[in-house]
Amino acid sequence: MTLAEDNGPERGGDDLLAAEYVLGVLSADERQIVSRRIDADTDFARLVDGWEVRLSPMAAAYPEIEPPASVKTALDRRLFASTAPAPAEARAGLWSSLAFWRGLAAAAVAALAIYIAVPYLNPPVAQPQARLVASLTADGSDVKYLAIYDAAHHEVGLSHVSGERAAGKDFELWMIEGKNPPVSMGVIPVGSTAHIVVSPAAQQKLAQGAVLAVSLEPAGGSPTGQPTGPVVAAGDLKSI
Amino acid sequence: MTPQDITKLIVRTSMKDRAAFDLLYRQTSAKLFGVCLRVLNDRGDAEDALQEVFVKIWTKADRFAVSDLSPISWLVAIARNHAIDRIRARRKPAADIDAALDVADPAPGPEALVVAGGESERIHHCLDELEKERAAAVRGAYLKGESYAELAERHGVPLNTMRTWLRRSLLKLRECLER
Repeated sequence: MTLAEDNGPERGGDDLLAAEYVLGVLSADERQIVSRRIDADTDFARLVDGWEVRLSPMAAAYPEIEPPASVKTALDRRLFASTAPAPAEARAGLWSSLAFWRGLAAAAVAALAIYIAVPYLNPPVAQPQARLVASLTADGSDVKYLAIYDAAHHEVGLSHVSGERAAGKDFELWMIEGKNPPVSMGVIPVGSTAHIVVSPAAQQKLAQGAVLAVSLEPAGGSPTGQPTGPVVAAGDLKSI
Repeated sequence: MTPQDITKLIVRTSMKDRAAFDLLYRQTSAKLFGVCLRVLNDRGDAEDALQEVFVKIWTKADRFAVSDLSPISWLVAIARNHAIDRIRARRKPAADIDAALDVADPAPGPEALVVAGGESERIHHCLDELEKERAAAVRGAYLKGESYAELAERHGVPLNTMRTWLRRSLLKLRECLER
């Protein structure tokens, strides 16, 4: 299954791919694919480690620069803010776990295959690339939304399919792109449909097919700027 | 702090020992901030990245046990990879950005020379065996996380040419290091 390593520089090979990943020259998409492979394939992960070891002396050229104290304060707040330490830890672990997000994305793609047939959608007649759709669901949750990103109008339309928010709680919409932390797109207004305006910065990321997720937050939305409650629904944006 | 000390701190961090994590932060955050800043070239962005890097260190410290890397190299690898993913998500392949980078950061920089003089690491000898321009591309890619597309633009060659150059250079490096 592994690519032959003696393919030469033009053809590549696993060891060269590992080297390119470590060197840092690959595109965002390629890096995602390789990073997934590192998690799944221990032989390949060892090749990557080998290159990290080989090239690491170059890192001596990075200067030491004292970061401002605010970084540690924000870090502590993010990791340890809750008065109940255990759940806070578990949550931080879950939210920052790549495996979790990848699993989520995979599950969402599978769910989408089923949900894509749901009505709501106009037949994709004369709107090539203009619309992306995602079915937002999660295991162990009855919350479901159908999300449609309308690039022309810079908004995400949400159709509430099922699941109610608890009293004193709100649903908040997040965009997750690549390995970056979730970016809030705002609290989802109560109702069967909602429209959320997308910032210019988020537009491009959405157009490239980000993951949308809904978390349960205190009324008014997350106080920290990062999700604090459980993910109740999530899904991949796909063009239709 | 010796590498053994850093190793202990990482292992204790993997057991969710906050005191160890705090000490690890004090000992290593300046280096990792240097990494983020060099790759991202923006203070605010680098501060955000550093925070995320330490979230990863807190949650993934157990993975250190299965790595072949020295403790500081393992930490630098997390910071570098995170910063590179971040800039790859941010940067658009626009010519004006490349031009700005070109002006802002001629390579190889004086830092690389200091390292070459200060450390008798084999890799620097092996880099010296490459053609100057290619060695500069390897260093630029490693230290600043430049993509094939950006390197191709800066060196004025097609992307596939840059890819071939760097792959050949990597093969030569490996061969030289194993000599």
